[in-house]
Amino acid sequence: MLQRGTAKKVTIFVNEDTRHHLASLSEAILTFLFHRGVSGATATRAMAGFGAHHAMHTTKIEALTEHLPIRIEFIESAARVDELMPTLYDMVTDGIIEVQDTQVVKVANRERPAPPQGPHAESKGAARLMRIYMGESDRWQDEPLFEAIVKRLRLMDIAGATVYRGILGYGAKGHTHKSGRLPFSHDLPVMISVVDSAEKLGRALAEIESMMQDGIIVLSDVEVIRFIHGGPLTENSNANGETGETPSAAL
Amino acid sequence: MRTVKQAKLLRLHFSEGDHYKGKPLYEAIVNRCRELKIAGATVFRGLEGYGETAEIHRHHLVRRDQPIVVTVVDTAENLARLIPEVEAMMDTGMIATSDVEYIRIEKPPGDPTR
Repeated sequence: MLQRGTAKKVTIFVNEDTRHHLASLSEAILTFLFHRGVSGATATRAMAGFGAHHAMHTTKIEALTEHLPIRIEFIESAARVDELMPTLYDMVTDGIIEVQDTQVVKVANRERPAPPQGPHAESKGAARLMRIYMGESDRWQDEPLFEAIVKRLRLMDIAGATVYRGILGYGAKGHTHKSGRLPFSHDLPVMISVVDSAEKLGRALAEIESMMQDGIIVLSDVEVIRFIHGGPLTENSNANGETGETPSAAL
Repeated sequence: MRTVKQAKLLRLHFSEGDHYKGKPLYEAIVNRCRELKIAGATVFRGLEGYGETAEIHRHHLVRRDQPIVVTVVDTAENLARLIPEVEAMMDTGMIATSDVEYIRIEKPPGDPTR
C-alpha cells in the first residue's frame, strides 16, 4: 500500500503497436505491474505526438493513426521502483522510461478494512492537548477560521480535532461574544481542542499561528487512553503510538 | 506579537439552571471575571451530563438544565483571586485547575496573511 510522503513517479512512453512477445507492449507492462502488486498504474492513449522516429502520429488523419503514443504512469516507493526497473528496462524495446521524484499527499481508499469487530484494544500514552480560542466570526482567506484550521490539521495528519462553540465569553479582544437577536448574527467564542504527540502539535502550532490574527492557544500535558478496534490496524497503530505517529485512520 | 508563558486553566462545572441573584450563574461569573480583570472567560454548554446529585442534566421542554462549563485561562495569582469569589457564588458544582502553557497571538490589523 502506498504511503504518504516522498515516492517515485514512473512514466513510460511506448508506441501503441509495439509488440512484446504476442501481446502489445503497453498491455504487457500493465499486466506485469499488476502482478507485481503495484498500487496503481494508468495507461493513456495520446491525441497526437512524435518520438524518437520523428514521425508525427495523430488521430486527425486516418493514415497517421497508427503508432499513437501510449503513456503508462505509476507511483511507488523508491525501493519498489528499483525492484521493478530491471524488468521494465528489459521490456521497453522502443520508447522512453522516465522517473521523477514526487510527493504523495493523500492516499484515500474508500474500501476500508471491515469496521469494528472483537474486543477493543486499549493504548495509553503521554500526549499533548492544545486548545485554540478564537471568535466564530474570525476568517481566513474567505472561510471561517475554525474550519480552515480543522482542514489544515487534517492535511497534517493530526489525530483529531473538535470544535466547540461557547454560549458566552470575553477575552483577548476585550468585547463580549454573545449571540445576537437574530440566529445569523453570530460572534460567539469558538474553541478547538486537539490531542496528539508533542512533536506533531509543535508542527501544527506553527501553521496555526500563521493563520490566526488574534486569539490564544493553550497547551497542556495529558495522558491519552485510546480505544482501537481489532484487526491489522491495531498492530500498526500500537507501533506508531509509541513513536508518536498516530494515524488518523485508526481513530 | 507573540507571548508565551506558564499559566493556569480553570474549569467550572455546574448546571445551566443555577442562578445567582436572579441572573444565570454563568453570566454572573463572567461578569465577575471582568470586574476582577481576568484575561478571559468562555462559557460552553454541554449536551447532557450528570454530577454530584446523579441527576441527569439535559434539555427539558421548559426548563433548561444542561451542563455548563466555564473555562478561564490566566496566571496562577489572578486565578487565586478569582477562585474564592466563584466558590462563594456556586452552590453545587466542580472547580478544576490545571497547568498550561499559554500562547497569545496578536497581529496588527490588515496583516497580509489574512
